[in-house]
Amino acid sequence: MRISTVFFRVELVRQLRNPYTLAFTLAMPVAMYLLFGAGGEHADASAGKGNVAFYVMSSMAAFGTATAMSSLCSLAASEVRQGWGRQLALTPLTTTGYATVKVLTAVCFAALSIAVVFAIGACTGASADDPWRWLAVAALILAGGLVFGLFGLGVGLAVNSDSAAALASISISFFGFFGNAFMPLSGVMLDIAHYTAMYGYVALVRWPVTEGALIAGGADPLPVVLVNAVAWTVVFALLVRFGVLRSRRRR
Amino acid sequence: MNIESLSTDAPSSPAPTPARSAPAVQISGLVRGFGVGDRRVRAVDGIDLVIDRGEIVALLGPNGAGKTTTLDTLLGFADPDEGEVSVLGRSPRRAVADGVLSALLQTGGLLADLTVGETVAVIASLHGADARAAGVMERTGLASIARRRVGRCSGGEQQRVKFALALLPDPDVLVLDEPTTGMDVTARRRFWEIMHEDARAGRTVVFATHYLEEAEQFAQRTVVMNRGRIVADAATAGLRSSLGGRTVSASLPVGTAERILAELRDDRSLAGPIDVSPGPDPLPGAVGALPMGLTRDGDRIHVRTERSDALAAMLLSLGAHDLEIAAPPLETAFTALTED
Repeated sequence: MRISTVFFRVELVRQLRNPYTLAFTLAMPVAMYLLFGAGGEHADASAGKGNVAFYVMSSMAAFGTATAMSSLCSLAASEVRQGWGRQLALTPLTTTGYATVKVLTAVCFAALSIAVVFAIGACTGASADDPWRWLAVAALILAGGLVFGLFGLGVGLAVNSDSAAALASISISFFGFFGNAFMPLSGVMLDIAHYTAMYGYVALVRWPVTEGALIAGGADPLPVVLVNAVAWTVVFALLVRFGVLRSRRRR
Repeated sequence: MNIESLSTDAPSSPAPTPARSAPAVQISGLVRGFGVGDRRVRAVDGIDLVIDRGEIVALLGPNGAGKTTTLDTLLGFADPDEGEVSVLGRSPRRAVADGVLSALLQTGGLLADLTVGETVAVIASLHGADARAAGVMERTGLASIARRRVGRCSGGEQQRVKFALALLPDPDVLVLDEPTTGMDVTARRRFWEIMHEDARAGRTVVFATHYLEEAEQFAQRTVVMNRGRIVADAATAGLRSSLGGRTVSASLPVGTAERILAELRDDRSLAGPIDVSPGPDPLPGAVGALPMGLTRDGDRIHVRTERSDALAAMLLSLGAHDLEIAAPPLETAFTALTED
């Protein structure tokens, strides 16, 4: 497998000057954190092992990462299905090599999104009881974000290229809202939320702070959260499988 | 190569190492269709083609003739349903990976948000040919627009970018699908100058085009496809003259035209046996269009014949002047071959 550093560098630069990517993966999480985290009336209240600002910061960094992973991976799939894929097919680059570069780019972008949100969080009063909780949250965000890379890839392969990116980002916003990533849900909404795609992810990401406790009261047992995360990973993997078959049939 | 082809197709002489002696392109019994089940259409319906190293070959055919499908299998984008395709003795994908096969794609896309320079740099790096990038950009006239976004380039400029990408691996076999689309006359001339330099240096060039004059001017050999089959494969010059002979035009002494035409109609040996088409279109304002490839325009006659030398000698002996002998344009051959 041949991976070129030039290819990787150009891909990074491309996304850095893409206003759409910057808005959804950096500006939006930061703005939401400032509005509902640092700027919220309970910012300094405890959310378990950290304050509410830290809780919101973690949620928003997770959301930014899910957006970065899904949109960059759906773009990767769309591009390769268009003419650029044919152009790349005339080089020694393998599909694995292409996917590696694209996933690395998406992970770098996700890491950037986390770093920016965390840096602003640290400057605006987000705090946790121990420093390792910051690292644990960041690691969970990055690792879990890969699942949304699968989602983006599946959408990019299965849906025609013009609508893939839009569909991926709309879905992610939907998942974020119903996954309890934004305003804390309660009642029936919270019951439904347990089954949606981002619930397990954000709950896991916040685990080092909340240890399962919910803002609306009560707590989730860890297995419930894990089952959600694993089940949706399987669903997204199946979506990728479907997308691969569908794009093959179209050739 | 599989066992079956060894037993049926193996030459009697011991097979030399494929890389050294294999032709640039070898296509045998290629069939490739689209669609599923009963609705499957054979886009390419059994073609055989051997192209030697250093040849410049034009691939002509109307839309839907199977040119692009043939090129797709030649480049490894599509697998043959039947038959085999090899490039320099190896599979197309292997040839691409080895950097000996490259192409300028008609449907090949560029990323609009990359600059010209970035696009060339990325593809060069994937070929491990970073050092060639600057030279190729110079050669294709891209150096001055290196910092321009591809999306802001004109169609002709984008075509030059694709051309540069095709040259990056320094391929032995270069496939061009409608290469000069969108280029202006100067760019097109420059493009073919580069192609000719390369062919002299031993590069094999296979191109599909709609511009018949490009095939006429630049290809030594023309392959005509229609309905998924090869309907003609010959030296381009030969293809022109093989079909419909030549047209002999001459101005005759005043008052003799009718008599000479009558003689030619009676004696088919010089004007015949041309009966495939009504001959060249009558000139504007021509009078008395005659059947069987004979037309008259005042004192000037136009005769289509396969014995142009003999006819010319006869007409000159009768006092004809301003005699011209012209092979029909490739377009005439093309139309005759691909019309139903």
